[in-house]
Order: sequence, then C-alpha cells, then structure tokens
Amino acid sequence: MLALLMVLLPLLFAAAAPILRKRPLALYSLLPVAGLSLCLVLAADLFCPERDLFSLYLGGTPILAADAISRFFLQLTAGLFLAVSVHAFFWLPATREHSSHRVPGTRTMHRYLFVLFLLAFVSMMNLSILSAHFGLLWVAVEATTLASAPLILYHCSEGSLEAMWKYLLLCSIGIGLALFGILLLAFAGKISSCPPASLGFADLSAPGVSFHPVWFKIGFVFCLAGFGTKMGLVPFHSWLPDAHSEAPAPVSALLSGALLNCCLLAVMRTLRLAPAEVLPFCRTMLTILGLLSVLVAAFLIIRQKDFKRMLAYSSIEHLGLCALLLCYCQTALTTHVIAHSVSKMMLFLLAGNILLAYDTRSISKVTGMFSTLPRTACLWLIGLFAICGTPPSPLFVTEYLLVTSLPPLLAILLLVLLFIVFAGMATACLSMTMGTPAPGSHERQAAQAAAEQLTIVPGAAALGILILGYITTLWMKQLL
Amino acid sequence: MNDLLSLLLGALLVLNLLLASASRLRHCIKLVAIQGVLLGLLSLACAQSSGGHNWQFLLVMILSLLIKGGLLPYLLLYTMRRISVRRELEPVVGYSLSLVIILALTGGAFWLSSITPTAVAHGASPLVLPAALSTISTGLFLMVTRRKAITQVIGFLVFENGISIFGTGMMIHNGLLVELGLLLDIFALVFIMGLAVFNINRSFQHIDTHSLNALGD
Repeated sequence: MLALLMVLLPLLFAAAAPILRKRPLALYSLLPVAGLSLCLVLAADLFCPERDLFSLYLGGTPILAADAISRFFLQLTAGLFLAVSVHAFFWLPATREHSSHRVPGTRTMHRYLFVLFLLAFVSMMNLSILSAHFGLLWVAVEATTLASAPLILYHCSEGSLEAMWKYLLLCSIGIGLALFGILLLAFAGKISSCPPASLGFADLSAPGVSFHPVWFKIGFVFCLAGFGTKMGLVPFHSWLPDAHSEAPAPVSALLSGALLNCCLLAVMRTLRLAPAEVLPFCRTMLTILGLLSVLVAAFLIIRQKDFKRMLAYSSIEHLGLCALLLCYCQTALTTHVIAHSVSKMMLFLLAGNILLAYDTRSISKVTGMFSTLPRTACLWLIGLFAICGTPPSPLFVTEYLLVTSLPPLLAILLLVLLFIVFAGMATACLSMTMGTPAPGSHERQAAQAAAEQLTIVPGAAALGILILGYITTLWMKQLL
Repeated sequence: MNDLLSLLLGALLVLNLLLASASRLRHCIKLVAIQGVLLGLLSLACAQSSGGHNWQFLLVMILSLLIKGGLLPYLLLYTMRRISVRRELEPVVGYSLSLVIILALTGGAFWLSSITPTAVAHGASPLVLPAALSTISTGLFLMVTRRKAITQVIGFLVFENGISIFGTGMMIHNGLLVELGLLLDIFALVFIMGLAVFNINRSFQHIDTHSLNALGD
C-alpha cells in the first residue's frame, strides 16, 4: 500500500496544482509532498524493516513491489526531491526577480505548471522504481520523459526548445526500442521449454524459468540500447548534454541525480534475468558501452567551454562507471550511485546559482568567484573535487575498488581516462574561482547577493558527501 | 482465419511503401490512421485464431482502435491546420529513392526473419516478424530523412505501430493495466509533441528541424 501512496501522493498534488494558480502559493505544495515521501520511506525502513509494506497486488499478480535495491533507490530519489524542492522554493523567485534582463520576449513557464510537471515527474520515477512488471516499468520510464520534457522549457528560449525536442524524440525512440526489447524477451520466454507465467519480475526470475538464448540476446541488446539511451550511455547520449544544460537548475539536478538512476535500475533488472549462458555476452555489451561513455565524456570534458555541459558529460562518465561497476564490482555500486547523485545534485544547484550571478554559462567569462561569491566558490570547489573522486570523496573508494577488480589493461585505460576528467574539471574549476572579477553593474551585484543566499541546500549536500566519505573510508578499511 | 491474418500483414507491408512515397501531410496522416485500424483488426484476428479472448482484451482492442485510428490522427491533423503546413518540401532523401530504400529494408526484414530461429512452430504467422521489422525501420527512416517536425511525429507513430505489430502478432499479452498505460503514454507523447511543434513554429517561424542544431559539441 505504501508503494501506491508513493506514486499517488505526488500525482494527487500535481492534479491539485492548477487550483493553487495564485502565484506565491503554487510552490508551497512541493514541500509537504517531498517531506512526507521522504519520511514515509525512511519510516518504513527504520520501524518495520521486516514487514513488506510495499507490495500491491491486482487480481493476484503483483503490480508494485520493492526489494532491497529498489528501496535504496526510492530513498535516494525521495531525499534528492526534498533537497531540490527546498532549493527550488527559494531559487525560482530569485531567478524571476534577477533575470528579467535576459533576452526580451523569452517567456517563462507558469509556476503552477512547473510544480505540476515536477510532481508528475517524481511520481513516475517512483513508479518506475517500484513497478513489479516489465511492461509497467516501460510505461513509467516513458512517462518520466513526458513529464520532464516540458520542465526543460521553463525559460522558453530557442535553445531550450531544441533541447526539449531532441530529448523528447531521442528518448522516445530509445524507449520504443526498449519496448521492442521487452517484447523480444517475452517471446524468448514464450518459446523456451519452461515459459514464465507473465512479464512480472517475480515470474520472470522464478526458479526453473528459461529463455531461448538467441532471442534473449537480441532482446537484451534492444533493452540495453533503449534504457541506455535514457541512461546516457555513449552512442545514444546526444540528447543528454543539451537537456541537462538547458533545463533550469533544480530540474537538471533531478534529471541527473535521480532519473539516470531509474534507468540504471531498469538495466540492472534486465541483466538479472540473463540465463547463465548469455550472461558473458550481456556483460561484454555493458562493459563496451560503459567504457565508451567514460572515453567520450573524458575527451569532451577537457575541451568544454560551458560549465553546465561539463557537468552533464560528467554524468555520462559516471553512468558509464556504473555500467562497469555493474559488471565487475557490484558491491560498490550503491555507494557510487548515492555519492554521484548527491554531489551532482549539489553541483547542478550551484551551477544554477552561478548562472544567476553571472548570467553566462561560459567557463571563461566567470572569474574571481572567491571574491564575488565566496561561499558558492568554496562549495563549487568541494563539489568538483568530490565528483572527480579526490580522496575524501566516497567516489574515490568506489573507483579504487572498480580499478582493482578490472582486468589490467582496462584498469590502466580507465585510470588514464579518470585522470583526463580530473584535469579538465580542475582547470575549469580553478579558472572560475581564481582571478579578479570583472567589474559588475549594480544589477549584477544584486543578483550575486541573491545567489550567495542560496547555498543552504548545496552546503548540506557537501556535508553529506564528507560524512559519506568518512563512512566509506571505514568500510574500505574493513575490506582491506 | 490465417488467410485474414496474412492479408492484414500484407496490407501493412504495402502501407509502408505508400508512406515512404507520400508527400502530402494529410495523406501521410490518413495512412497512419489506416495503419492504426489495421493493427486493431490484427489483434482481433490473432485472438480469433488462438481462441482466447475476454472482455479485457476487447476493451483494449477497441480503445487502441479508437486512439490509434481516430484520436491521434485527428490531433495531428489539427496541429497541421494550426501551423498551416501542407506538404513536406525538400526531404533529405527524394520520394522515389525513399521508395527504393524502403523496399530494400523490407527485403532485409524478410532475410533477417529467415535466418533467426523460427517462430512459426509456435502458432505465429511467418509474416509477423518481417512486417514488424519493416514497419519499425520505415518509422525510423521517416524520422531520419524528413525535415518537418510534424513528419517526425508521424514517423514515431509508425515506429510505435511496428512494435505493436510484433506484440500482437506474437500474441504477447501484457495485461490490461500495462496496455492502458501504453496507450496513455503514446497519446500524451503525441499531445506534448504537438505542443512542441506549436512552440517551434512560433519561435522559429517554421518547423524545419535542421535549424535545431545550435547546441552540440
């Protein structure tokens, strides 16, 4: 029943958003939903960890269910949503006030529409995490695209229109391929000697159920291409930097921190079904895509001129690393996912502040952040070093574990690529924070003062990363 | 009953060729509507030959017939009228060449289904896989080679119909909830894409997607 609540609560508030059309009120509905969902999932795990609160049956077949991994993803999504909605609550009025001098004629989305789509987006992410049926998973993942595409259009400029169109079209094609893949998997089960009863995950992974190996391989390739498109794995990634850089900061934070994880979970679920004789093939495919993602992202990060796009490519890199972790070192996967999500959320929120203060996304035009925005600059520095896996960061531990469990040649290649990423990020970060600031107009200074006020949520996230880093270091000591 | 099934699948194959050579948008939309209706009939024919159908199945079939054969084409026509675009001028690949390419793709689909492990023994028509693959590739082809945003939406619908041909032809049942969710998703997708086409038209004064290339590295 709790699962249904997690899906329906945001959806109900989304439906009620048009009622709160009066401008200052609209944003208030985000906070109770976010707070309540986080409390619910945490309470379910803290107070009754044994009881299965999440399962929902319809006519005897499970529709929604949660295992350990989906509970983890659910908590992560709820936490990120709370952080992002607190930030958005202060960020949206600030941008509206200080960015009126942008391109004239650019319309901004109504606030209640923003709330409506954001809540629908979160609800569909929860559904995709909790669904116990392959078809329902597909429906939910497609619905996340539909709900998040209008959010990119918050500032209705030409660039955001282009990004939204690409996102909508490419992700829909990708997800369409995934649907074909799911049907092929169903067919592979149907013509095998012991067919699964339905497309529910419990039925598909029941003991004794078998798949036709050739058809399973074809189906897996389509599923990987489909969910990989939404995950941003490399040959299918071209929508990701555009969408993540054009979206407003809270939306980028959720797209990068939460949505990519949902698709990672879909890939994990597909991989888990693979019969033993097909598993090496599936892992090879996933490794190739993961390594390609890190490779392409590394070379695009080092020559990047736009700091939001740089963060987007860093997401591609980390999802590539997640794909590698999925193949070689599954124990470190959840740590990697949570560390990446939190630090990427923090970085995208800070990028929104910098955009507000300097009104540019170009790395070279932002200088001297230490003197104009001291708090933001410190957090930006912490965030960028954390996302590169510099030692206090939990990502250091997970990347270390990954490199040690890879075959030697791959490990060396990966180390070189990680170093390139570090070099690119460090250059950008130093040139943005150091130097002397350009003299700003009166309006700029007001915007900078407003941006400096918005560092509470990123600061809390930074603290969270440091604590997590300490915990993972202890964990690594145990492992060694 | 198997004759009807083959007839429907053959008609779907012919529709792909017609779609490739249709230059007027209204004509294209009509062809997609016919494809939606044929798809609905296909699921009925499949259910007849397998013998199993109940009220849930009929509900899904009627809904999908109404949505894919009526509502979505109507939405597309409405969008087309609002932005006053009549035909696809200067496609990236000409109409006669498109026809040849689609023919080649259809041939490729037949070849592919002849080398994959056969599915005929399991009660499915041998034409299902070629028809599905050919429709999917026609949809992808339309999306790649046509410039107008609205033609790309049409291409997506064709692509989606191709996937449904596979699902219904191979008699894979997802259950009521999933089928309804699927239909809702497709409807919402076309709706949102229609809105996006409006916005693109308003911002750029036209809907040629080749001008949507300012972003990128």
